[in-house]
Amino acid sequence: MMTKLKSWRPYLTVFRLRALMETQYRAAALGGLVTQVFFGLVYIFLYTTLYAGGSPDLLRDTITYVWLQQMFFRMMFSADGELGNLIMSGGIAYMLVRPVDQHRFWVARDVAGRLVGAMMRLIPMLAIQLILPKELRISLPDGALSFFQFAVSLMIGCVCLCELMSIIDAVTMKTLDKRGISAILNLTMMTFSGNVIPLTLFPDALQTIIRYQPFAQALDAPIRMYQHCATLPQWALTVAVQVGWIFILRAIGRSMWNRRLNDLIVQGG
Amino acid sequence: MKYMIHAVKMLFKSAMQYRASLVMQVLAQFVMTAGEMLAVVVLLSRFKAVGHWGAGEIMFFFGVMQASFALTELFGRGITSFPWFVQRGEFDALILRPRPLLTQVLVSQLDPRRIGGVTVGVIAMLVAGSRLNITWTLTKALLLAEVVLGSMLLVLGLFLIEATMSFFSVKSIEMVNILTYGGRTACQYPVDIFPGVLRFLFTYLAPFAMCMHWPVSWVIGAPMLSLPTWAYFLTPLAGAAFFALMVRIWYMGVRQYRSTGT
Repeated sequence: MMTKLKSWRPYLTVFRLRALMETQYRAAALGGLVTQVFFGLVYIFLYTTLYAGGSPDLLRDTITYVWLQQMFFRMMFSADGELGNLIMSGGIAYMLVRPVDQHRFWVARDVAGRLVGAMMRLIPMLAIQLILPKELRISLPDGALSFFQFAVSLMIGCVCLCELMSIIDAVTMKTLDKRGISAILNLTMMTFSGNVIPLTLFPDALQTIIRYQPFAQALDAPIRMYQHCATLPQWALTVAVQVGWIFILRAIGRSMWNRRLNDLIVQGG
Repeated sequence: MKYMIHAVKMLFKSAMQYRASLVMQVLAQFVMTAGEMLAVVVLLSRFKAVGHWGAGEIMFFFGVMQASFALTELFGRGITSFPWFVQRGEFDALILRPRPLLTQVLVSQLDPRRIGGVTVGVIAMLVAGSRLNITWTLTKALLLAEVVLGSMLLVLGLFLIEATMSFFSVKSIEMVNILTYGGRTACQYPVDIFPGVLRFLFTYLAPFAMCMHWPVSWVIGAPMLSLPTWAYFLTPLAGAAFFALMVRIWYMGVRQYRSTGT
């Protein structure tokens, strides 16, 4: 085992580099924007029909939920095939000679791509809200404190998500074939993170399980606080669950990465 | 035609060579589509109805959409992956062969994984059909078959738009997807639950309503329009017309084609 640098510098650097790289993909951002707005509107029209004659408050909450999901879509679903390419091409050998903690290095890189990618789509999506008719628009947060809770939880959620993704990457490293397993994982992710239908609409009896499972930590937990400002104990509980999952997922991810990297076969020459 | 059947047979044979891997991938597709069905079930369990449509009716529409779309992906893989074909310069080889060009593209690949999706669609239709107590007649069965064929041609036409774009821009353009996959998401529900703009878009421009919703609503005994029976046999032809139009445009693109070289 080689010595590892103790400082945070390499991780901050890879974070910055990946963030810069992401800002170069403007055409992709535009394409994603159009798709996300279209899907957002389709879902909103569907819920408007579903809630017809029902509670206007619940409808407004659901519309807000749908928009937040679409705005942070890029955070949830990143199409960064870099790791797979590195493994297939043998380029991973160069990655391994860096005297860094590979797992942390990769997670830092992933967080940067997701956060910056989401921010790039966020601003135009907010601008679009201004030209939409009032009944299709996102609502404002429940208050300044509620927005603060949302923002804090979103950052924690993004880290939690990347820890989760690193586990999936470790699985990919083993099988090399990404298609089958990643297709299923993508759908699991879309369903249990609230992208297909808001998690708040799942049966009431299942809500306790639904809101504390790992997929809900990234975006569902912050959205709930955006809509309804949490009391202090509630807030503490939410953050504790998020951070708790980070530790659990990190422990699993780390051990899997170490095992994978130890018996990794470098392809090609 | 003979050439087409032969080619498809060969593709199935080659897929069967990796039987274990194929079974896994079919299973994966099955689970994924079943997951989408679960989402619809969750919505229906909370809201009971979508507009004036009951749960059984919505499930039947879902089944028709999933089955038709998955069938299109199964046989239309050559067209959906056409942009890569052009990027790699492999399209040049096809131009030289003395066979119809589009037929060659169509039968160049097959996606047998989609059998999983087709199965879920058929199951949804069967379950919904028994809940709705449909009395099946030969006319209804024939119309349903025509609906699936018409919808497949429509979706294939939409995929062709993307294929045509790849002649002009080597990078695949994500935006073109919104009609295809957006149509798949939106039109698993009958169009009349959507407001004017979307209804117009999916009735006349990408005619999912004509190919699918109108005739299916008659089959399940809740017609959206009061048309005579024979008219329901005419509307799915919109899919064929749409496909024919897109084929024309695609061939116009072929004339513009410049190889990317190798």
